[in-house]
Amino acid sequence: MTTSTPDAFEDQFHHVALRHERVWVFIAVTLIAVLFLVAVWFVVHDYGLVAKTTQFYSNPNTPSQLAEFQGSGVKQTGPNSYDVYEIGRAWSWTPGTGTPLTLPVGAHVTFYVTSGDVLHGFEVQGTSINLTAIPGVVGHVSYTFDKPGTFYIICNEYCGAGHQAMIGKIIITGAKQS
Amino acid sequence: MSAVLSNNAPRALAVPTAGEIAGEKKMLLAFWVTGFVALAVGIAIGALQSTNYAGLNLYPYLQPFLKSYYQGLTFHGVLNAYVFTFFTISGWLMYLPARELKLKPNMGLAWFTYALMLLGTLMAAYGMFDNSSSVLYTMYAPLKGSAWFYLGVTLVVVASILPLIVVLEMRARWKRANPGQVTPLVTYMSATTLLMWLLAALGAGTEAVFLLDPWSLGLTNTIDPLLARTLFWWTGHPIVYYWLMPGYVSIYALLPRQAGGKLISDPLARLAFLLLFVFSLPVGTHHQYTDPGISPVLKGIVTALTLSVAIPSLITAFTIALSLEYAGRRRGGTGLMGWWGKLPWKDPSVAAQVLALVAFIFGGAGGIVNASWQLDNVVHNTLWVPAHFHLTVGMMTTLVFMGVSFWLLPHLTGRKLSNPKLALTGAWLWFIGLMTWGLAGHWAGMDGVPRRAWVAALPHDQYMQLYGTVHPALILVGIGGGIATLGAILYYIVFFGTLFGKKEAGAMVEIPFTEFITPAEGSALARVAEPLGLWTLITFIITLAVYIPVFWPMLTHPIHAPGFVLW
Repeated sequence: MTTSTPDAFEDQFHHVALRHERVWVFIAVTLIAVLFLVAVWFVVHDYGLVAKTTQFYSNPNTPSQLAEFQGSGVKQTGPNSYDVYEIGRAWSWTPGTGTPLTLPVGAHVTFYVTSGDVLHGFEVQGTSINLTAIPGVVGHVSYTFDKPGTFYIICNEYCGAGHQAMIGKIIITGAKQS
Repeated sequence: MSAVLSNNAPRALAVPTAGEIAGEKKMLLAFWVTGFVALAVGIAIGALQSTNYAGLNLYPYLQPFLKSYYQGLTFHGVLNAYVFTFFTISGWLMYLPARELKLKPNMGLAWFTYALMLLGTLMAAYGMFDNSSSVLYTMYAPLKGSAWFYLGVTLVVVASILPLIVVLEMRARWKRANPGQVTPLVTYMSATTLLMWLLAALGAGTEAVFLLDPWSLGLTNTIDPLLARTLFWWTGHPIVYYWLMPGYVSIYALLPRQAGGKLISDPLARLAFLLLFVFSLPVGTHHQYTDPGISPVLKGIVTALTLSVAIPSLITAFTIALSLEYAGRRRGGTGLMGWWGKLPWKDPSVAAQVLALVAFIFGGAGGIVNASWQLDNVVHNTLWVPAHFHLTVGMMTTLVFMGVSFWLLPHLTGRKLSNPKLALTGAWLWFIGLMTWGLAGHWAGMDGVPRRAWVAALPHDQYMQLYGTVHPALILVGIGGGIATLGAILYYIVFFGTLFGKKEAGAMVEIPFTEFITPAEGSALARVAEPLGLWTLITFIITLAVYIPVFWPMLTHPIHAPGFVLW
């Protein structure tokens, strides 16, 4: 790889290029810094949507045997706030698949999510709820349902032959509960 | 050490004989043909996956060869992302430095790499073919595949490390004979890529050897799914740079000459590779933004480090665009964009690579969204993600290597490219097809369509109920996949047509090593980038600093999960 002698065209091109290069690097670094600050600011501002750890269990069957995860899995914690204990199993969500999860509009919900077998993905379509269900770990996210309607829980982590059919339903009813 | 060296006059190194060079060419040809044959199978299955998203379920017609979408997807991921890339990259990164330095590589080790990789591939293929390992290429435990599969993949990964030894040995030989000089660019890029991959492979290597292999052999009964996937992503992020950087080798060091110009700056190319090395390693956890068990503070740090990877990519965008502009203006292009049209668009090799660069702009922009922790929540594990990596890996590795093969096959075999027009059409169709599927996939992903789901197997009314609002996008995914497949068919007609064509005098073109406007000589930046051992150590320390707090809660709270076979 030898470099042939530069000519006048190359010299001039190079001269302009050096100036443009400095401008470009400055724009790139600024852009990245701004993006980072905005991304983190939104996380801090709306901390609930970030996946957080509730607890680890050495025996992955433990969470499914805990009282909170029995029955409907729904616990009212305030005027319109709820804790929902959600288990993914191949290939259903409880609550969600057998019986839909029904809550009033404006409900502030903290989902505690785990898995009873393999990995699952707890995604609620049309929201920012997205949490990996891992056997042996319970994670949680919070979300406020501001609009009424039907939301689907879609498993977005491959979990075997019936993965595509692992769908649950959340119904947000129009009337606000007092 | 340096005192000893300076006392010795530089020694002349033995230049390989014509026969030895022919042997090196045979070696590279073996790697590339094997890789591209694997890719052909992978692409054929990929076509079925795009029709799946369009709602067309073709799998019932493929019994007993493919039992399900998921078995096909496992093949597609393993063949395209591991087998194709590992074979082509391993050969490429050994051959180019050998020819640049004019040194004979350790051919025994090169062929051993090939043999080991082939053995691993056949073992993994057996495990996939009998449907015992439909765990997809991410192989998340506690889904449990067969030992054939895990041990095969382990061998492939081990083999992929060996080219590093070949390259570092040649570099050391060259440096002994040329004391005080910086490593020539292509060798520098190859060594950096392979050192990056050495550190990267530690994660999945550890996962395979200590968790998956003993578990699949029945030596352990349970596995820690969170630890396993965290180790996987230690490798799973930098692996994308292991895929891209060999493409960048062509883009930086060969394409400028092919286009009729020069690379603007050799030192800036080194800087880009060095930054990719340092920043790609510690950030794997950004694939786990949605996982519990990892502290949000660490996820914030990883966000910053991940976004920093954009800087070498933006440097690349600048340097390469400018080098192409230089080429275009040399060829008579005037005005603001006149140079663009003056590029040698009729040369299929140049066209394929420039098209890959165009696609990469969209791939990179989407990647900024994935990297941004908060935005990722909306698109994580949706169709957005495979759409993103088909615009990056599917272009910057696959399409660039297709473009490279248009000069490389004649270079290796002495046979003329069989049909340049068909080659050009194939490259364009691949580009148009993947762009269509890519942009439509991003669109569908934003509406929550999950990735890797056999949605066509759902009853049609449920498919429409869940994904009906983005049905046009999903149909475009199917159409895009079809166009890309057509491009691939044309590509393989040219590929095999060339391989089985007639030998011709003058067909054996030379490697288009570029010249530079700013060379490495006298550059402080090139000097700083030169000590690769030191940079490897620094990167390793940064990676550990990020990863020790990630692993700590997992190691102190081990999970003992039993395995499941659910397909």
